[in-house]
Amino acid sequence: MDINICLKELSEAEGVSGAEDAAAQTALEYLKQYTSDCFIKNGNVIANFGSRNCEAPHVLIDAHIDQVGLIVTYVGEDGFLNVGNVGGIDRRLLPGQHVIIHGRKDIPGTVCSVPPHLSGGKKGEVPEIDKFTIDTGLSQQKASEIIAPGDRISFDVKYREMLGGRVTCKALDDRSGAASIIYALELLKNEKIKCSFTVLFSTQEELGERGAKIAAYDIDPDIALAVDVSFGYTDGESEYECGKLGKGPMIGISPSLSGEISRSLISIAEKCGIPYQTEVMNGLTSTNADQFSVNRCGCKACTVSIPLRYMHTPVEVIDIQDVKNTGKLIAEYIKEAY
Amino acid sequence: MFEKLKDLCILNGASGDEKNVRDYIIKCIDGNAEYHTDNLGNLIVFKRGRKTPKNKIMLAAHMDEVGLIATSVRSDGTVTVDEIGGVSPSVVIGRQVNVGKDGLSGVVGSRAVHKLSADERKKAPEMSGLYVDFGAADREEALKYISPGDYIYFSSEYTEYGEGYVRCKAIDDRYGCCALIEMINSEPEYDAYYVFTVQEELGCRGAKTAAFAVKPDIAVVMETTTASDIPGVSGNKRVCEFGKGAVVSYMDRSTMYDRELYKIAFEAAAEKGIPCQTKTLIAGGNDSGAIHVSGSGVRTIAVSAPCRYLHSPSCVVKKSDLEACYKMAQELLSRTAQL
Repeated sequence: MDINICLKELSEAEGVSGAEDAAAQTALEYLKQYTSDCFIKNGNVIANFGSRNCEAPHVLIDAHIDQVGLIVTYVGEDGFLNVGNVGGIDRRLLPGQHVIIHGRKDIPGTVCSVPPHLSGGKKGEVPEIDKFTIDTGLSQQKASEIIAPGDRISFDVKYREMLGGRVTCKALDDRSGAASIIYALELLKNEKIKCSFTVLFSTQEELGERGAKIAAYDIDPDIALAVDVSFGYTDGESEYECGKLGKGPMIGISPSLSGEISRSLISIAEKCGIPYQTEVMNGLTSTNADQFSVNRCGCKACTVSIPLRYMHTPVEVIDIQDVKNTGKLIAEYIKEAY
Repeated sequence: MFEKLKDLCILNGASGDEKNVRDYIIKCIDGNAEYHTDNLGNLIVFKRGRKTPKNKIMLAAHMDEVGLIATSVRSDGTVTVDEIGGVSPSVVIGRQVNVGKDGLSGVVGSRAVHKLSADERKKAPEMSGLYVDFGAADREEALKYISPGDYIYFSSEYTEYGEGYVRCKAIDDRYGCCALIEMINSEPEYDAYYVFTVQEELGCRGAKTAAFAVKPDIAVVMETTTASDIPGVSGNKRVCEFGKGAVVSYMDRSTMYDRELYKIAFEAAAEKGIPCQTKTLIAGGNDSGAIHVSGSGVRTIAVSAPCRYLHSPSCVVKKSDLEACYKMAQELLSRTAQL
């Protein structure tokens, strides 16, 4: 498999929280290459590997399949749309963005921006989300035939490769996590695995890890790895609070995570010569691991994060080498886990 | 016409870097007209019509677009930028861009929203806080691909959508260029000069020397102008509206337009059924500002297409308005020739 093609297909596919169909279907097609026991249930993409036995733990490997975006709240005068945010959107960068409205069919739109000479006294202030509208180029009647409240809106950007193996697209949070898991499956496909495991591409993480909660109930894992993205160092941040792009997966350490799993991941990375960084948190992690750890009777959970710059924007940036190394770490962990 | 508009908009040509646009225009008109390029980079074209007019008429459109310029390369390989022409930082943050001579893929970065305080989230970005990240690991690597002074362009596709809308960067003023090319290639009624100017966005600098060289009696500027016909903007603040045709204004921040030409435009509109409107706010400016005070003065009028989100990677226009502007320019050429 070509990791760049995989990540391009995954990140260009649409999947604003709760409407992940296209992204979920793209991911499912990849999973089918590695197991026949895979399906979508309540928005979650689930793929099972190996048979459960009492000698080895059942491991859950998760990445969320949803992305942040906008949702139509009203089809207004002259076909302009009012919107709400789905997940944490940076309003500062909305003016003039190109978007795709996922109505009865996908149509382009442009986020309205008030020209500088008309911004009046409010110069320098970013409006609340309910003040933004989307220009559809349609009359109210035509717009209503295609678009209805509840339709999702995503940023219209293409995957692009940059210097040094870095890539940019929307939704790299968390399609790069999904790509790293698929890469792990590729590495594992001819290996004899002792444990059983489930791959989960979960819905609605951006709304508060909701898909993870219900999937974990069904899957009932002993160990869970939430593979997500975390903050890559950029100008203006403090270096010690961020990972560095290209320096490998960030292994989570936190009072809410299993120290045993954290240590195990670190020793595997060291043994296998996989570059890694640690990400120390002081409580909850704001990832699906927060749900996994308290599922049913409890589960040993940990986070493995890919450093990413410009999170929740249409121009997220990651280093493809980090995706590969994350995949390697997951594969090695699965091989060792029993 | 729209095929050419697409080609023209996709070309990168911010102020001072108009060569690509000029070369394309020359390719379009070569063999159909006499032309030369002046020292500043203006393309000055003379096209013989079927008749020789009493007045020397000049039509003008500017080739340059707004953009960004690299100002320094930092130790982490990112590039600080400044605007060329008036660009709001709000339409720069969070965009894909093409960097330097090789047009490398880059993005305009900013701190993640999660890391911002409630106050910071509400504060509009400033150009000084924005930078371009194109993947360079450090300053040394970055300098292999970019130097201060290099241009950085919005990466924008040409999209047709809605009911006859077109969206792209640089429609301001590649539309004007496109209209002039069409006129040159359409066997016009009268002889005329067509000038494709540089550096309009820096203060109509190309138009100044082009008008000096041509010394016209009458000038018609083909442009785009701000349309604010969007929700939350009412009454005269909408400036002009989509679907109401060519915008001919009586006054803006750079020019008091010739009263008689203004009247002629609206007479032509009424007689020929060309949709035409005026601006409901005195705002903006264009090459007319330099042209009308050139030499001993030039009687000047501007025909503009209403354009939403001007000076952003997302200029939006309506095709029917562009067609109206084109017809209006043709009418003005015929009606002012013997004035």
